Amino acid sequence: MLKEITMLAVVFLFLSCSTTDEEPIVIANPQIGVDIPLNFPEFNAAVYANRPTQYGVALGEELFFDVRLSTDNTIACASCHMPGNAYADHNVQGVGVEGRIGLRNVPAIQNLAFMNFYNWDGSRLQLENQSLVPIITHEEMDSSILEVMSKLEGDDTYTEMFRNAFGDAEITPERIYTSIAQYEYTLISANSTYDKVIRNEGVAFTESEARGYETFQQKCVSCHSTELFTDQSFRNIGFPVNTSVDEAGRARVTGDMDDYMSFRVPSLRNVEYTAPYGSFGQFETLRAVLDYFDDGVLDADNLDPIFKNNSNRIPLSELEKEDLIAFMKTLSDAEFVSVLND
Amino acid sequence: MKNIKQILFLALTSIVFISCGNDDDIPAANNITLAFHNTFGDETIVLGDATSETATVNTSEAGQVHHFSEVKYVISNIVLVQADGTEFPYYINDLDNGATVVNVADASTLNYVLTTIPSGEYTQIKFGLGVRSDLNTLDEVSFPEFYALAGANDTEMHWEWGTGYRFTKIEGFYSADDLTLSVHTGSTVEGTQGDESTYTQGVDAYRGITLDLTTNAVVGSSAPTITIKADFDKLLSGQTNTITLGDNNATPSVHTAANMELFVDNLGGDGTNDVNGMFSVENVEN
Repeated sequence: MLKEITMLAVVFLFLSCSTTDEEPIVIANPQIGVDIPLNFPEFNAAVYANRPTQYGVALGEELFFDVRLSTDNTIACASCHMPGNAYADHNVQGVGVEGRIGLRNVPAIQNLAFMNFYNWDGSRLQLENQSLVPIITHEEMDSSILEVMSKLEGDDTYTEMFRNAFGDAEITPERIYTSIAQYEYTLISANSTYDKVIRNEGVAFTESEARGYETFQQKCVSCHSTELFTDQSFRNIGFPVNTSVDEAGRARVTGDMDDYMSFRVPSLRNVEYTAPYGSFGQFETLRAVLDYFDDGVLDADNLDPIFKNNSNRIPLSELEKEDLIAFMKTLSDAEFVSVLND
Repeated sequence: MKNIKQILFLALTSIVFISCGNDDDIPAANNITLAFHNTFGDETIVLGDATSETATVNTSEAGQVHHFSEVKYVISNIVLVQADGTEFPYYINDLDNGATVVNVADASTLNYVLTTIPSGEYTQIKFGLGVRSDLNTLDEVSFPEFYALAGANDTEMHWEWGTGYRFTKIEGFYSADDLTLSVHTGSTVEGTQGDESTYTQGVDAYRGITLDLTTNAVVGSSAPTITIKADFDKLLSGQTNTITLGDNNATPSVHTAANMELFVDNLGGDGTNDVNGMFSVENVEN
């Protein structure tokens, strides 16, 4: 019965199409140039298959801030990925509809166009496959893509935005996923004090920042490398363990127990804005993280060799800690945070 | 509009006439019912909570007593095979019509009726435990009925973070202290499988099962029932792995790919040495 109705509906569609004489109005939808900042790595290959366009990005941004993506219209992507916090928040773990607590700390989302793995465990390899997860997850938006689509249908704003972005007003899951990804691809942070120093734009480190940069290169850069400030590897660095049965770190995806409780090295860009720290917000401050490294981390069979070879710790003096924090704050991109705050 | 209704009506009625005009005695097609008998060995599983006195209790090879409070699994990709090797795929690319969730707590899910199976003698059945990776995308637009069935509050067979379905969900208790046992399986595969130019990662709990029928299922005048036993004793005491819960062998709560394959290979076979897993044909009633 349902099928027959569907068939009739399809026939209807064709009928209604054939009765209109109007030519669809084609709106120019130019690609947005997304430049690769100096010394940044290549784009994720998926970017080339889904190049940001003017109206694709506009639509993605509208969706990103739309609470109707959640079942009770209370949570948008931006509710947890808050622009003023470099798209992280200040909760220990993510908070979804009805105050439900998620498994992990909300990661900052910036420079995603250059990342090859998404989420703490790298479960997604391209952003287009990511946005369905929070939409349907019980502790996040607890909705479904059909529920979302039904809310957007008939909204004149979206009718126009989908038409501008894709040539017609049809709302499809793929269009929702690709436009959100396009918007996220444009969130590039590369204008911190650090960047201006490196680019010789007339800015210099303070003495403390300069010392911190030196310490950073000795004691941190083997993981927080490249201009992304992460080598995108997965490592168990002996942080306090999330005992939820849903957590296994990278092994959650790979099934390989050598990856147990390993997490993707987080970028340090804008780290000043994204406390607390750790996969489930174990540390309130940067200082607490550095103290933990200095005191010694938890042992594990698969503890990262850099820790294993150094008595499970990164020794840091009081001055080194202060300087490192000063340096990390030079990675703050006030422009990125404030522009997006508007 | 009226025309279309008429065309549809004509088309439907002509199909009916064509199928009726085939033969006087033996219909061109009939149903096959798959009856899932969920057991520990020969004993039908009765579910129960931690303190239940009626739940069926099983003892593993390693000596661990256990019982279940919840058992669910997905069956899809069903293919019926005739003696001459002719295969009849049953909506294998259509989860709405060709996949189901067996829920031990819900008797109505234990019998899955396959409709309009061409008349003939069938000697073998193949099916999947779980959902084949190309269909395992939580595509609600293409398969709204299966999506809703699997996602219902009393079913909970969406594996949201993997954007796929749960393939099996087993909850229960083990040891004298009734410690929690919880095994969820699914797929964490991401990337284009078979395309060597792209990076692919993850573990797939989907398993293809092949069972020879004990008696040929004769579809035609009769509508056979094939009773398939799912012996959950195999969970901990399988052909592939003997599992001891709670030590270095395996954690008793598996909600991720970590340790998942130990259980999956027991339930669904390892795909090479074992293509039956916990399943066998108990009988065929014609």
